[in-house]
Amino acid sequence: MKTLLICFLASLLSACVSMTAVGPGDVTVRDKLVVKLDSAWNKYNGPGVGKTELWTTDGLSLDVLRFFVDIGEGEQLIEVRGAHEKQVPKFRATMQPQEVVELYDAVMSQGGNRFHLDKLAPADFAGGAGFRFDYTLVRKGDEVELKGFCYGVVRDKRLYLMTFQAPKIHYYAQHAQRAQAAALSIRFKG
Amino acid sequence: MLPQLAQGESSWLVPPRFERPLLSTDEGGLWSMLDREENKLKRSKFLVRDRELNDYVAGIACRLAGDHCPDMRVYVVRTPVFNANMAPNGMMQVWTGLLLRLTNEAQLAAVLGHEIGHYLARHSLDRLRDAKSRSAFGQFLGIALSAAGAGGAGSLAQLALIAGSFSYGREHEREADRIGMDLMAKAGYEPMEASKVWEQLLTELKAERDWTGMPDQRSVLFATHPLPEERSSELATRAAKMVDSAHETGVVAWRAVIKPHQWAWLEEELKRRRFGETLALLQRLIENTPDDGDLFFFRGETHRIRAADGDFELALDAYRSAETKRNAPADLYRGRGMVLQGKGEEAAAQDAFRRYLTLRPQAADAAMVASYVTNPEKSKP
Repeated sequence: MKTLLICFLASLLSACVSMTAVGPGDVTVRDKLVVKLDSAWNKYNGPGVGKTELWTTDGLSLDVLRFFVDIGEGEQLIEVRGAHEKQVPKFRATMQPQEVVELYDAVMSQGGNRFHLDKLAPADFAGGAGFRFDYTLVRKGDEVELKGFCYGVVRDKRLYLMTFQAPKIHYYAQHAQRAQAAALSIRFKG
Repeated sequence: MLPQLAQGESSWLVPPRFERPLLSTDEGGLWSMLDREENKLKRSKFLVRDRELNDYVAGIACRLAGDHCPDMRVYVVRTPVFNANMAPNGMMQVWTGLLLRLTNEAQLAAVLGHEIGHYLARHSLDRLRDAKSRSAFGQFLGIALSAAGAGGAGSLAQLALIAGSFSYGREHEREADRIGMDLMAKAGYEPMEASKVWEQLLTELKAERDWTGMPDQRSVLFATHPLPEERSSELATRAAKMVDSAHETGVVAWRAVIKPHQWAWLEEELKRRRFGETLALLQRLIENTPDDGDLFFFRGETHRIRAADGDFELALDAYRSAETKRNAPADLYRGRGMVLQGKGEEAAAQDAFRRYLTLRPQAADAAMVASYVTNPEKSKP
């Protein structure tokens, strides 16, 4: 209780944000997925993550590996603020991969970012027949051009995604291979 | 003879060109800061750099500004929101969400004329002095300066912040409307088009309210502006008093310049997920150009993505209409395939996907769609 109170009070100042190392080895993500890592990442612990988990190596604005876990019918990928319920992009269990891309695009384009789909193709993910898409994103705030990829699968009418995104210059090439290895290692927790 | 105001209506006397204010003055400091921001804007990845479009918009601004033409710089910024703003140093931004919503050149002239009106009446200076007199000067300039001093990045975000600092009061907006209408009339544009800009926007907002059921939803634009109903009505009344002999709307030139950009702007419009607004916008665009297959395609896409009760049927109707047009886009077959897939009509979906692949073999999602055709099970979640 005392810890919670301290955390609450501290959250008023710092929002209780911290990073903890994950890996190497098997790491469980939101109690649903298991990722086998050959090197460590930093896991973001803070508010506003919803059903996601964020990892980074050099800092969240420079590289981010993100898991969207167990997104069910009518749920959002990320909470969209200030919009009416009918204006919020939501997952439907009948969505096809293109529609998942549109869902992701709508979320990533919030705030004026510019999203462009480069490629969408079938790909195995988490032991199932899923998909992978590659994209380019220009971030509105600082106009940095980012590259990203996303693996996804719908299992038991619930959506699971793993995305990696980093500035096109330097950081994408620096970490994309590790992120790709992490994606290919993912399996559902037994 | 150009349109003139009827007797009793005073016309706006355009002042001579402004001298650049001395750096030692409050206004001079502001200009200097804005010049730095403008240099960042020139490098922005969000600027639309198409020469033809920029020349066209700048040409209209020049036609309206007359002697002040050399002091006007118009930047077309890729943002899917209805907005335009003018900084006191002559730097004007027009957002693509605004251009998408206009019907003709005269409507753009109304918007540009309004912004030029702010410049000619030096409203920003009033705003600056007013803030200063209320001891809010520090806050006013502080916001702007801190934004400007935030480093080399984020020019658009900073500019939006600065533009916010120049939000004018309603009287300034009314005066800018009046000046803008005088300028457009003197330049030979149909003044009645000014009121239509707001009428159109109002229709879209109402459609969004009807769709979401929200009691009232006002754009941030209206925070300081007169309400669009009032504005549309005032502009229409004023336009009716003008004795006109040259009614130019410039619709042909407008369509030719805007059409190459419309697809990309509509794609960005869809991402806003304001389905009521988008459908009202498309309805208007279709009424204006009923033979444009792209517009029916986007209507289909809006219904497909919205996916509310009855939307799949409306999407299929729209795709069918798009298919009959000379410029029917290949993407309609992908949309049709997805809707039919969602409805469980496998064979028809396969046909649509095959057609899409034939027409767009290099599409970004071709490999995914091909997997549906070779293995229909893949398209099932």
